[in-house]
Amino acid sequence: MRSVRSTCLAALALALLTACGTQTSEVETGADAPTGLAAGTSLYFLDGDRLTLQVRKTGRLGTISDAVSLLLTGPGDSGLETGVEEVSMTRTEVTVTSGVITLRLPLATSEVEPLGVDQIVCTAAASHVQAGGSPDTRVRLLFTDVADEAGPGRTCPL
Amino acid sequence: MTTRRSWLRGLRSRLIAGFVVVTVLGAGAAVWAGVRQASEALVESSQSQQVTSLVSQITATAPSVAYPLTDQSIEQLRVAAGTDSLVVAEDRASGDGVLADGVGAVPAELRDNVRDSDGRVSTQRIEIDGTPWLLIGTPVMLTDPSGSRKPSGVEVYVARDLRAVEEDVRDLITSAAGAALLVLPLAVIIAVLAARSVLRPVDRLRTTARRLADGDLSARTDPAGADELAQLTDAVNDMAESLQRSMAELARMEDDARRFAADVSHELRTPLTTLTATVELLHDALSQDAGPVDEDVRESAQLAVLETRRLVRLVEDVIEIARLDAGTADVRREPTDLADVVRACLQARGWEEVEVGGSAPAVSADRRRVDLIVANLVGNALRHGRPPVRVTLSSTADDAVVTVSDGGDGIRDDVLPHVFGRFYKADPARARTPGSGLGLAIAAENARLHGGTVTAANAPGGGAVFTLRLPAVPTPEEGR
Repeated sequence: MRSVRSTCLAALALALLTACGTQTSEVETGADAPTGLAAGTSLYFLDGDRLTLQVRKTGRLGTISDAVSLLLTGPGDSGLETGVEEVSMTRTEVTVTSGVITLRLPLATSEVEPLGVDQIVCTAAASHVQAGGSPDTRVRLLFTDVADEAGPGRTCPL
Repeated sequence: MTTRRSWLRGLRSRLIAGFVVVTVLGAGAAVWAGVRQASEALVESSQSQQVTSLVSQITATAPSVAYPLTDQSIEQLRVAAGTDSLVVAEDRASGDGVLADGVGAVPAELRDNVRDSDGRVSTQRIEIDGTPWLLIGTPVMLTDPSGSRKPSGVEVYVARDLRAVEEDVRDLITSAAGAALLVLPLAVIIAVLAARSVLRPVDRLRTTARRLADGDLSARTDPAGADELAQLTDAVNDMAESLQRSMAELARMEDDARRFAADVSHELRTPLTTLTATVELLHDALSQDAGPVDEDVRESAQLAVLETRRLVRLVEDVIEIARLDAGTADVRREPTDLADVVRACLQARGWEEVEVGGSAPAVSADRRRVDLIVANLVGNALRHGRPPVRVTLSSTADDAVVTVSDGGDGIRDDVLPHVFGRFYKADPARARTPGSGLGLAIAAENARLHGGTVTAANAPGGGAVFTLRLPAVPTPEEGR
């Protein structure tokens, strides 16, 4: 009788001790892994009137601002064309809020063809996605002559 | 151990102990479940926070890290992951803190899981040198512009110390256990109250049972409530009721029997007196007349006289004992010298061979009744024992003692307890003895009437010893 009782008490104490506190566990799998590594920056140029991906071998992914700046410097001698006029000033201010990337371009609306707008939007979106951003993010462009763009923003047609 | 055993024997202490055990178990179970839940939530939340933090740190740093990785970029990622981290790329690795030993410090299970994780973060809680750690392992992914991902071959591991969480959990247990302990005094109070409500009826029942045992058959307990204890009380009351009825019935029957015996004796006395006179007349006539009377007829007349006398004595004894039973016997107490009474008794009956010795203090008694007792005891000794029959007077602190002993074989052990019984005959074959069979019973009743006793025993050397004790100091009148 006594031994049964003490066994019960011991089992109870053991259960309490082992149940409380942290203990070792099995491997658990959870959240999405980080990303953002890339061998180069993805830029979109024009092959005729078709958007074409060109990976510039920069050795790293870089930021959205880097990508747009590289785009503004032009396709170089790769044989591709661009719908954006070459300007000496390529610095682009990038603001990422939830769901929307806002680019303040050093360009006037007249310096960008409609396909050029798609180039900028696709390049910014690609850079954002590759850095782990959501593919549904929209891009809003601000030009030197249009201080504020209304609407929900643009998406890459690709 | 034994003291605890006996301590637990009381109903009150067992009730209290039971209550406390139940409370401790209940509170313990609640604390256990609560703490378990809370600690799991704590660990879980800390874990997910660590994972989120690592993922955002790596994701923030990765775009500026050269790929394929150089030693420098590996270092860059490791710094981004914080202390106690490890970055593995193909066959190169850079570790810090507890993971400074490289991949060897990471359990194989976790590594395998990270490789096959399909772009997910893996976690495992392990112990390193007795300290709890959370290990987080994750591949770093390559994402193409369309959003599809593939492994880059780079893995990041970090270890996070869980001691702070453990500390929180311990605090939680301490405060929960403290709160649980607070209910203990409450449990004891409730147990004491419950024990009292149970034990009070039990106490009352015990008192009633004790009164019943002491002869107060009218003792009852008022049943309170309608619980099992009230039922028990009812049952005890019923038992007492039926006991009282049975006892009253018995007493009535005994009374009836005694009255009947007394009535019969009274009815017999008058015809017997006439019969005695007639028989004696007849006997006298037959013995004087030397006429032609047969010797047989004379013997018959002689026998008739003897038996009639015996019958008279028997009837008188029955009347006497009926009077003693009914409590109507009159006692004329006076200061009495026992030596005088004994000597007068022996002399009156012509028992000169009986030796008298010793002395006794005076008693307050009815001389006639003491004479009857002594005559009965001595007569018995002379009839059933052998000489020398001796009457010894002595005294104890409270009593005057008269001892009657003889030189016979004594009383058989199986007979000894019954010698004062009514009509008890030691030998059934000797049914026709001159005694009525009531002599010793009457002697014992007479002694009781004086607040004394008559006892029978055997002397060590053989021979019966009857002892009459009467209180030396006059005592208040006995009831009967």
